[in-house]
Amino acid sequence: MASADKLINTDVPEKDVFALHFLRSLSNLRTQNPLNSPDKSIDRVRKIKKAAYVSMARAAGGNSRLWSRALLRRAAKDDNKSVRFSRRKRKVTWKISSKRRRSNQRAPVVEEAAERLRNLVPGGGGMETSKLMEETAHYIKCLSMQVKVMQCLVDGLSQK
Amino acid sequence: MNSSSLLTPSSSSSPHLQSPATFDHDDFLHQIFSSTPWPSSVLDDAPPPTSDCAAVTGFHHHDADSRNQITMIPLSHNHHNDALFNGFSTGSLPFHLPQGSGGQTQSQATASTTTGGTTVQPQTKPKVRARRGQATDPHSIAERLRRERIAERMKSLQELVPNGNKTDKASMLDEIIDYVKFLQLQVKVLSMSRLGGAASVSSQISEDAGGSHENTSSSGEAKMTEHQVAKLMEEDMGSAMQYLQGKGLCLMPISLATTISTATCPSRNPFVKDTGVPLSPNLSTTTVANGNGSSLVTVKDAPSVSKP
Repeated sequence: MASADKLINTDVPEKDVFALHFLRSLSNLRTQNPLNSPDKSIDRVRKIKKAAYVSMARAAGGNSRLWSRALLRRAAKDDNKSVRFSRRKRKVTWKISSKRRRSNQRAPVVEEAAERLRNLVPGGGGMETSKLMEETAHYIKCLSMQVKVMQCLVDGLSQK
Repeated sequence: MNSSSLLTPSSSSSPHLQSPATFDHDDFLHQIFSSTPWPSSVLDDAPPPTSDCAAVTGFHHHDADSRNQITMIPLSHNHHNDALFNGFSTGSLPFHLPQGSGGQTQSQATASTTTGGTTVQPQTKPKVRARRGQATDPHSIAERLRRERIAERMKSLQELVPNGNKTDKASMLDEIIDYVKFLQLQVKVLSMSRLGGAASVSSQISEDAGGSHENTSSSGEAKMTEHQVAKLMEEDMGSAMQYLQGKGLCLMPISLATTISTATCPSRNPFVKDTGVPLSPNLSTTTVANGNGSSLVTVKDAPSVSKP
């Protein structure tokens, strides 16, 4: 996927990277819970879904994006695992504190949509609107890639 | 700048600087000393005349930003044996650029270095001129910059999202949000279908049966049908399909159903079930998570029953 904007880099890796991570996570799941699974199927659904998201976050470049970082942290918190994050260089975390005071002046149409986006995109709570939209673009690309991978898997496996 | 002074001897002299004998020596020395810096390697290679050397070291630390394109190439010593000539041969070094030698190119090169020097200046912050009627208040400038930033991000998002031809900002944002929700829903659905277990199917149906109750008119019948279908699906898809067809129902993927429902009634009723599939009043749908493939929807539409 060619990204036209030169200022903002929203490149995602190829499909194989996503596929690799997803399959690896699936095989991990399988070794964890053998087929005589004691848990209900809804839990399995949730586990697979979580595995899908986590593998997507990893494939998209673990720490390089805010949403992936938030996703991984959330997943690790659920599992009570401790996540090791490499010290990212102090990039611009858009100044929230100084601008929050005057947030009402900013185009309210955009802001309420940004609020809804913040609920959808992981890690969106602490971001300024411009950064949020950048993250959303990358998130959308990764999600569509993940969906393609999963669709291919399903199609391949459902051949009779 | 000294570049102009460098040009004059070159234009007057022969094009090739390997024969510095044609230069006017004093003039030449002046040019050399006043212009480019001499790296220490040059001084080491050539045993220069003492007076020249002293003067040259003074010019060692010139401002190098515009001259960083010039690299000194020490000439081989077999060119000129004369001591004075050595000074000149190394003196001609400043004019030997890695790209090309010669007086013609030298003038261009020196000109280009100066221009190159100007272009490599650090990018200053773009000064925004205020338009008429707008204050040069730094707050409003920052505000405007921020809005421009947001606008360009939205433009890049517009290319990603299908149906991104909306010119209205608000509708574009709604479209983006819906698309994100849709993608997340797809992931959820696909992860469900990967299980391949019948138990998941039946449980899913039972969940949806409760949901679809509120929406369908013939609620009892639908529930019974769904349970029946679920039971049949556990055994064999074919029999399930036949059962459905006997009832005048068909199975289709959810995406197709949503497309049809939106096509038949453009003004969608906000009848959204748990799975987020909007229903139209004359279509009753049941979402079923199938172990085999993508999610399936059974659609019952009284006036138009699709024939197999």
